[in-house]
Amino acid sequence: MTQTISRRDFLKLGAAGAGALALGSMLPPRAAQAARASGQLDAGGNGYVHSTCEMCVWRCGLIAKVVDGRVVKLDGNPEHPHSRGKLCPRGQSGLMNTYDPDRVLTPLVRMGKRGEGLFRKASWDEALDIVASNMLKIKEKYGPEAMVFSSTHNLSQVQFENLLYAFGSPNYGTQRSLCFNAMITAFLLTYGIEEPSRKYDDVEFILMVGRNMMEAISTSETGELAHAIDRGAKLVYLDPRYTKTASKATEWIPIRPGTDSAFLLAMINVIVSNELADCDFVKQYVIGCDGIQAEMRKYTPAWAEKITGVPAATIERIAREYAAAKHNALAHPGWRTSNFVNSFQTERAIATLNALSGNVLTPGGCLSAEVAAEGAGLGMPKQPPYPRVSALRLDGVSWKYPLVPLKLGVFQELRDAIITGEPYQAHGWFISRQNPIQSLPDRNKTLQAFGKMDFIATVDIIMNDTAWFSDVVLPEASYLERYDPLLPVDGKAYIRQPVVEPQGEARSALWIYKQLGERLGLGDYFQYEDEEDYIRQQLKPLRVSLEEVKEKGYAEMPEEPKGEITFNTPSGKIEVYSETLKKAGFSPWPTWEEPPAPKEGEFYLLTGKVAQQTQFGTQNNQLLHKYSDEPRLWMNAKVAAQNGLQDGDWVEVVSEVGKVYIPLLATEAIRPDCVYLTPGYGHLSKGLTTAHGVGASDSALHVTYTDPISGGQALSQTFVTVKKA
Amino acid sequence: MTDIKHHAYLFDATRCIDCRACMVACSVENNIPMNKTRIWVAGLGVTGEFPNLQRSTMVYHCMHCAHPDCMSACPVGAYTKAEDGPVTYNPDKCIGCRYCMNACPFGVPHFDYDKGLIDGAFIDKCTFCPQRIYNGQEPACVQTCPTDALEYGDRDELIKRAHERIAAHPGRYIDHVYGEFENGGTSYLILSHVPFEQLGLPTLPETPINEVSEKVMAMTIPFALGWGAVLTAVSAGVALYEKKKNGKAAEEKAEPAETSK
Repeated sequence: MTQTISRRDFLKLGAAGAGALALGSMLPPRAAQAARASGQLDAGGNGYVHSTCEMCVWRCGLIAKVVDGRVVKLDGNPEHPHSRGKLCPRGQSGLMNTYDPDRVLTPLVRMGKRGEGLFRKASWDEALDIVASNMLKIKEKYGPEAMVFSSTHNLSQVQFENLLYAFGSPNYGTQRSLCFNAMITAFLLTYGIEEPSRKYDDVEFILMVGRNMMEAISTSETGELAHAIDRGAKLVYLDPRYTKTASKATEWIPIRPGTDSAFLLAMINVIVSNELADCDFVKQYVIGCDGIQAEMRKYTPAWAEKITGVPAATIERIAREYAAAKHNALAHPGWRTSNFVNSFQTERAIATLNALSGNVLTPGGCLSAEVAAEGAGLGMPKQPPYPRVSALRLDGVSWKYPLVPLKLGVFQELRDAIITGEPYQAHGWFISRQNPIQSLPDRNKTLQAFGKMDFIATVDIIMNDTAWFSDVVLPEASYLERYDPLLPVDGKAYIRQPVVEPQGEARSALWIYKQLGERLGLGDYFQYEDEEDYIRQQLKPLRVSLEEVKEKGYAEMPEEPKGEITFNTPSGKIEVYSETLKKAGFSPWPTWEEPPAPKEGEFYLLTGKVAQQTQFGTQNNQLLHKYSDEPRLWMNAKVAAQNGLQDGDWVEVVSEVGKVYIPLLATEAIRPDCVYLTPGYGHLSKGLTTAHGVGASDSALHVTYTDPISGGQALSQTFVTVKKA
Repeated sequence: MTDIKHHAYLFDATRCIDCRACMVACSVENNIPMNKTRIWVAGLGVTGEFPNLQRSTMVYHCMHCAHPDCMSACPVGAYTKAEDGPVTYNPDKCIGCRYCMNACPFGVPHFDYDKGLIDGAFIDKCTFCPQRIYNGQEPACVQTCPTDALEYGDRDELIKRAHERIAAHPGRYIDHVYGEFENGGTSYLILSHVPFEQLGLPTLPETPINEVSEKVMAMTIPFALGWGAVLTAVSAGVALYEKKKNGKAAEEKAEPAETSK
């Protein structure tokens, strides 16, 4: 557990902050009290409460069973479109995040060196004063741009962003460039929409490129895919590794890493040169019908065979099967698409294949490119306009990466700019619910960037690695202990509400950001009294009471009028040919770019997903720990034997930037030229008593490579050597 | 769900993705200690040679047999087969002899070696979630299954559904519903794409094992001596044991009181 100095010891040191009584006026809402008032809990504190899961970003609806004020079971909410009564293993384990014995339950202030783990407890007033005064000092001395803000996808992110924009910093790091930049940038450029939704009701043919849906579970979609397969839909799955999705696929293609786009371009070649596309649709909605045949001529299946290792006849057959399924064919856009520097081209090819099948916006088609404005129809607290920001973004967006959408950013580049101090030096870092030490490639570099910081503050519920290396840790209430802003899904606004009282001094992000905002002189940007008031302001235009939403779990939203089919691109059509790309100096067509390959004796280092964990944040959950497989390095069994390695041997894995030790899994389930490391482990923080010392860190090995178009990190472009430890 | 005459599960191995949500749900619902589980999801490993591979997954679970061997082996009547399906275990009656573990052809009952013979509740197994099924909910493992590999319902209805599925997809399944007749029928039914032995399931006759053993038992010494004598001896033994157990518990309770003085 975290070493702490007790409050009594601290008082002896003679620097006591204000006591708990001097806390701000915004006290946490009493969950049980509120739940009793709305009839969810009886007088004894027993009952069922509706809320929203936060074990990944899919956000399933849940119903929590509460006994004596303690949550004892979580079930999926049958009425919620994301859960439909089900929760995945992570969702089922969610209550162990709340009852993790390693929870940070008071604000902590660092005493020893960074990373030493020596903290003392502090009051909220003192901790918030320390954070605010350091942020203001940095702002005065170096300008607001010297403060870096970073946070990962969550329901309170809107208020995190509010804090950063009000503060006036352009430097915002999110997980996006480590995850889906390639997919989103490609779909924005092609369809003008970030992420089209998938429909499986009538799907006959599904092409998945590394979308490991059976392990990277999105509860409702995983179920829909399983039912589609059950019904007899064909799933063709491209992955160098025999994942659990591969085992459910009709056809598994263990393609050479980095060559997905060659395979897809050859499919497009077959479809357009044989005129198998949905011509009416294509002509009406697609820019590029005229030139595509000539442009794709060079990408023959025979050409692709040499690059991908997949027989030309197989590619040709799959292309024809895909085309035959017409608008009941789906080329899945994928999710974490940060694999190679050419992943953007892979996504462009996927976008093109969907356009050619006519599935987009065709009634009954499998892909829907309708723009759903997040939060439209909900109210917001009033606030003044944000200050103008003139400083360049450290992550290079606009001036170095012209096509990367502002909200996506290039997090790894931001980290590198902190190290180089170019174009200017950042001095402070405010992090909420994010673990860049584990998530960014090249962990040593991230630690180096931390070393450049005058001040680091982290908001989290446990001592993740980033909190461990911070100066102040602010304890957040877990997702079962707090309110977050409402989440609109399919015409309803769903609530996340406290199921149980927050433990210790833990507080919601809405509370923390407001308190901090007020101390930074930005109180005008946080015009809500408390979390409930925030949600009441959101509900105002809907004329629904908070009490009703608390009980039902959601509020109905007015139906948005459906207009004509339009795409939010410059031409208003699907841009398979993109003038925007051309103007920025890139190929206007989906195109082949050869990524680097490992040298003799090296392996591609693959990363991925297991069903029991979410990225780097859940390994300390004791239930998930119990039901997860031991992290290993997968190597093809024959290759292992050739190298004198046996299953279970400890091996040393070395990349250009790091070295880790881990037991080997000798298996047939991976290509001979690849190894795969169970992701998310190898935590440095000794404050994580379950996860510490388990597995090895993939981020310690990953080399930083950025795709110049989408800004995505190329996570599979790291090559390693493996020998017996 | 009130019209269920005979509660049963149907597990479809072709749908299972080895995510283990059922294991977690069961553990949380039934407050299982961190070192125990009542469900075992076995990823039976990848078979074949790259790239021609196959993977099967099996969710091992109490089979809730129509003729439970655990029950017939239990000398103290700690097991009950309910008319509507569930095979349940009463920890208050259990003496920790572990005969049920040896008798069960599926290896389901587990002994709590950490607790030893003194602390009670020696054996652990699936209860069929009575707190849920008699309150209109599905068992915890079934409700959460993201791919509906586990289903719950009336046994006849599930058997019908299983055969319909086999008929609808010839070639996908082994043409057999495991548990329909095995060991006289079970309330946990299994559909598979690979032979059932490959899922680690025993090949069992349709005649319940205990029907044979009970016949044999009927011809042995207790039969000759008369059951009355045997039961008297057993209950005397149990009473003695209970006394010892309670005595020990009383001693334990007394201890902290002493130290607090």
